[in-house]
Amino acid sequence: MSNSCGACVSLCGGKGKATFHDGIWKNNPIAVQVLGICSALAVTNRLANALVMGLALIFVCMGSNLIVSSLRKAIPHRIRMIAEVVIIATFVIVFDQILKAFYWDMSKQLGPYVGLIITNCIPMGRAEAFALQNGPSLSLLDGFANGLGYAAVLAVIGFIRELLGTGAILGHQVLSAEWYTPNQVMILAPGAFLVLGFLIALSQAIKAPVQEVKK
Amino acid sequence: MKNNVYTLVFAAVLGTVCAIVLAVPSVMLEPYRRANMEADKVRNILGVLGVPVEKNASSQQLLDSFRSVVKEEKRGTLSLYRYLQDGETMAVAVPFSGPGVWGPVEGFLSLSPDLRTIRGITFHKHEETPGLGGEIATESFRKRFIGKTLESVSGKAGIRIRPPGSPLADNEIHAITGATMTCNKVEVMLTAVIQRIKEERNENVK
Repeated sequence: MSNSCGACVSLCGGKGKATFHDGIWKNNPIAVQVLGICSALAVTNRLANALVMGLALIFVCMGSNLIVSSLRKAIPHRIRMIAEVVIIATFVIVFDQILKAFYWDMSKQLGPYVGLIITNCIPMGRAEAFALQNGPSLSLLDGFANGLGYAAVLAVIGFIRELLGTGAILGHQVLSAEWYTPNQVMILAPGAFLVLGFLIALSQAIKAPVQEVKK
Repeated sequence: MKNNVYTLVFAAVLGTVCAIVLAVPSVMLEPYRRANMEADKVRNILGVLGVPVEKNASSQQLLDSFRSVVKEEKRGTLSLYRYLQDGETMAVAVPFSGPGVWGPVEGFLSLSPDLRTIRGITFHKHEETPGLGGEIATESFRKRFIGKTLESVSGKAGIRIRPPGSPLADNEIHAITGATMTCNKVEVMLTAVIQRIKEERNENVK
């Protein structure tokens, strides 16, 4: 009991807090590092799709970070990347199988994008940059924070695209069809680029309001 | 040398462990996945046959209603799905497939019991360009087929897809603007299946 509390305190204060803040905001995988864009653009035409995809990435990042970190002293340096991919792929396939068995419609809508998390830069980047250097509990937190950072951006994009593109949120009509004409562009790929671009600009503006180049 | 052996052993162990971890859910979830795939196909057939289905029906419900009202039969090279209600055929669905512009196109054609008139059509699998060829899957395009005959007045089998605006015969429909290639491919695959339907029909008459 006291042990887990100790771990919790060390996670919540200092390094843990910084790790969490890094993943969610300061180094957000999408808004700052601009990783995982492919899926962020492809599956965000519906909020529900975006949420499930975010969930998948949280699951995969936490799992792969935990295992890679636990094995970090055992993994031979020369094959560490391929070992990371194998571990990531295992978690992705398990998630995909569960989706296919119990949420078939969702699985069909997400198409190949769940499987493509294997090649997503985020789990791989976290394993390589963080889990190999840090302990399991901190790595688990890092995986969670980065997954959540990705999921949050996807959720916002999904929310905006579904609302403007269909006038609905999670399938419930909120903008009446009587006065709102759904904007098809939002459902198609260009809408995703637009929303993501504005979102990144906004987050940059909040982070560094006046940082003009002075000559 | 020692290093290499360790690397190999590590790779082998990691690979084996991951394979086992993957095998468990794969085997356990297989029946669910198979039922879902089956239900997916069944949903398309029920839809095109016009069988009333609950909107949020589960895979099992779909399979049950399929088994109770649809009879599958083989006729030569064709497999037909017959929608029976009180022993009477309401409609017949025929699968068709063929190459599209970007990938294979698959669908079902629903026909009247005498196999002469189209009741409906679905394209459940296609990779055509969204917004152009992809429009074949929209209701507004699929509706154009309803009530069309399988052959022209002179008896030539096949559906013809004509440029928008042109006058239409009983076996002709209007194409989608900007999707000429897809429409041509659809015309070819439909004409092929209709040809086979016609042959089967003639055999049966004999």
